[in-house]
Amino acid sequence: MSIEWKTRFAGVPLTHWLAVVFVIGLGLFPVSLALMRLWSVTGITPLGALTTVHEQPGAMEAFRFSLIQASVSSALTVVIGLPLAWAFGRYQWRNIRLKRALLFLPFVTPPVVAAVGFLALISPGGVLYNLGLDLRGETGVFGWISSATGWPHPGHFTALVVAHVWFNLSLMIRFVEPVVAQLDPTWEEQLSLLPAGRTRWGRFKHLWFPVLGPATLVAATYTFFFSFTSFALVKWLTPSSNTLESLLGEMGGTAGIAGYRTEISLAVLAIATFQMLLMFVMLILAGRFERRHSQVLAMHHEAMNRERHGPASRRWAWFVNGTVILLLAPLISVVLASFQVRTVGASGLASEWTLEGWRRAWKGDFSTVPVMEALSNSLSYAFITLVVALPLGYAVASSLVTLRQRGHQRAAGILDSLCMLPLSMSAVMVGLGMVAGILRWFPGMFSFPYLPVVPHVMLVLPFVIRLMVPAIERIDPVYAEQASLLPMGKMAFWWHSRGSFLVVPATMAASLCLAFSMGEFGATFLVVRVGSWDSLSILVDQVASRPKFDPYVFPTAMALATILMVVTLLVLSINERARAWRSRHEI
Amino acid sequence: MRLLVFVLFLLLVAPLAGCLEVLEPVTANEDGECSILEPGRSSDGVLRLLTYDISAFSEEMLDGFTNQTGYEIEMIRTEDSGGILEQLLQTQQAQQADLAVGLDNTYLQTALNFCLLQPHEANVSGLSPTALEPYDGPLAVPFDRGDVCLNYDESRVDGTNRTVPTSLWNLTEPQWAGLTAFPSPVTSSPGRAFMVATVDYFDNDEDNTTDAFDWWRAMANNGATFTSGWTEAYEIHYSGGYGAWVDGHLGDAAMTVSYCHSPGVEAFYSENWTKSTSLTLERSTFHQVEYAGVINGGTETEAANAFISYLLSDEVNRNMPENNLMQSVLINATWPETSGFAHHTDTPTLNAQISNERIADEMEAWISEWSEATQ
Repeated sequence: MSIEWKTRFAGVPLTHWLAVVFVIGLGLFPVSLALMRLWSVTGITPLGALTTVHEQPGAMEAFRFSLIQASVSSALTVVIGLPLAWAFGRYQWRNIRLKRALLFLPFVTPPVVAAVGFLALISPGGVLYNLGLDLRGETGVFGWISSATGWPHPGHFTALVVAHVWFNLSLMIRFVEPVVAQLDPTWEEQLSLLPAGRTRWGRFKHLWFPVLGPATLVAATYTFFFSFTSFALVKWLTPSSNTLESLLGEMGGTAGIAGYRTEISLAVLAIATFQMLLMFVMLILAGRFERRHSQVLAMHHEAMNRERHGPASRRWAWFVNGTVILLLAPLISVVLASFQVRTVGASGLASEWTLEGWRRAWKGDFSTVPVMEALSNSLSYAFITLVVALPLGYAVASSLVTLRQRGHQRAAGILDSLCMLPLSMSAVMVGLGMVAGILRWFPGMFSFPYLPVVPHVMLVLPFVIRLMVPAIERIDPVYAEQASLLPMGKMAFWWHSRGSFLVVPATMAASLCLAFSMGEFGATFLVVRVGSWDSLSILVDQVASRPKFDPYVFPTAMALATILMVVTLLVLSINERARAWRSRHEI
Repeated sequence: MRLLVFVLFLLLVAPLAGCLEVLEPVTANEDGECSILEPGRSSDGVLRLLTYDISAFSEEMLDGFTNQTGYEIEMIRTEDSGGILEQLLQTQQAQQADLAVGLDNTYLQTALNFCLLQPHEANVSGLSPTALEPYDGPLAVPFDRGDVCLNYDESRVDGTNRTVPTSLWNLTEPQWAGLTAFPSPVTSSPGRAFMVATVDYFDNDEDNTTDAFDWWRAMANNGATFTSGWTEAYEIHYSGGYGAWVDGHLGDAAMTVSYCHSPGVEAFYSENWTKSTSLTLERSTFHQVEYAGVINGGTETEAANAFISYLLSDEVNRNMPENNLMQSVLINATWPETSGFAHHTDTPTLNAQISNERIADEMEAWISEWSEATQ
């Protein structure tokens, strides 16, 4: 190992090392605190608690349900998302920025809003119900499946899987599309001339599978994680079943208090340790696969590639445009719901069109912050998250790539897995750790208005790193060699040898940061301790969770959700302009 | 490589040294007295309320308080009454809020045992004796109340298909199989209150060989649905309430746990129409009282006391039914006559008679037994 202590260690600048340590510390800190708090309260070590996981009420049922629904959701997301991302990355599309933003919108929709959108589709009067698919009441074909197989709720399960696919399709787009869009088209042309590449299967086997495999696996892994740890969608769409996360969510608030309900603390310790170990092992395996199959690819400009392939065939156009429209269906139902109020009387149910929900949302006449204040909080959190997470993520990704290129595969593997830690954690553990840690060392932090940025940065960093690592690895070192021969400063050298190639993945990462922060709910809810810092997603949940005796509660919540969706769409569209800029400014 | 791992380990683990020390909660001494804790934050003239999402706290109401007293208000919200207690316990060593609003009488005694509240200065002379019955000490003041009881759908319990139960045991009969939904006492305040009521109900019935948890076991065997919260039970499962008009409604339950005045609220918002009514069997109902209390370790205690007085004022408290869907605690307060609110609200003949002290002492054991019975 070469040691250049002055500025570098193992080829990685010290500033980047600091970023690595900071990122790992940020991930480990809250969960370590939470585990230690639970350990001290119960007197049982996390490993000791792990041996009792099968005894905890509902844990094994929740595990089985989590595993099955997450596996099915991931498989279906790949089946639909891979061709979608491939076609979307390969061909020229009209209004591509808008379409991309629309495809991304589900991912940033607060889960409670998504759940309401889906419920509107599957309830009596909804589109799916009218098509004969009663996923909620489970009559008709789903009733028949249930009685024929003894499966208690096939309709609820199907609704959940469809919602997870809807939610996670954008991950396939985000991870796979850039690879397709930037791949040098001559590879495919040359392969077509060879015997192995004459058939579609041959080209898939020898080109697309090795090129897209790692990105697809990364997207599928995240889909699995998000589905496995799903909370709000499970709560609303499968009321008779729990995931491990929703089970933890029910018990989490009671955990970690000395001398109070210690059996709950033990259950949370056991289930959270079990879930964390499970997720961590999967992350390591997925990381190994990605590393083994990642490779340096010659990169081409997206606009040129698209021009070369031309517009999509009619079949592909139907598929992509149709999917965009279908993805919008639950969101459209949310917008419509914001203008409708139920009127109930002896004659039964009727509904009226009204702007009252919007008026109440704007005025904020309940015990919530006004909408503009919540919006301003959301945008501030998102912007700070972006500014912090993007450079940190780049520094860590760059360090990991350098370590690998210098032959320190094992060190890179360990650090990579540690950086992914936040993904394996339950929001309950993060929240508990934040509360326990902040309380113990920095009680004044409770008054820090940007506290929610901490979990936001923590949660988006694994994504930023995962997007950046393969992008940096794909850059051919020859660019750096050529640039080093030219008379230019450090920044210009960095830009021409690396930075300019990272605009697209950096845009993706920025979109993720902004979107994730705008829509994030779970962790924000746990750390927001003062109402005046409420983000828009918190506000939506607060209003939507109220008892709805008052018929205007629901349209008000949906009006707030609509505002969140529109603002997110605008932010993403603005960010996507960077991608267009990249296409116009050739290197 | 080893050096790298070692350095990383040191960097990550060093800050965590000493974490294993238990943060022992502060509890009352042998005489039941608590010391006043140091404020958890410095004074900034802002009153911080720890509460759940109480709809009575409209912007207008809060502005009224600010205009009268000059104190700004910030809210710290939890999900429900249990969330308030848990937040207070979690942050006992550095309380960030000044006033807890919404602890109910199933949680209050635990809060008192853990010294979470300090004496208030409010004048309680105008409060109804019924509201003061569960607790009339110096550490908490009631601000609203309601009776938790079973609600049923009159269109399904019509005397032909199903008869109105005259005993809770009726609900374990085949005609009620799969038709009841209960919020869990582990995670829901009304669920907890109803479980407490069942303890008293079966302690006082004629059959000495069975207790409440035998009944809960029989209910589970009869296909009862258990949900994490009131919202899931009432909105998704109960066919007699507003949930029937909400997307995703299942409507599989003809009976659930809510308040005896819930049918009144249903009627109030539906032009004096509802098909929901309440079942007020003696001792199967629970008089729930919600309290405001100055937090021990809070900073703005003067502002907290001013807010309690404001909360108990005629202009605010008299409007509790419309603003917070709960009954006022003032003497001679009545339910509003508007749109059948009062007409559809039932008053229990005899609520469960069970002391706060017994609730605090036995709650953990009851919840364990309940969990075992309904597994």
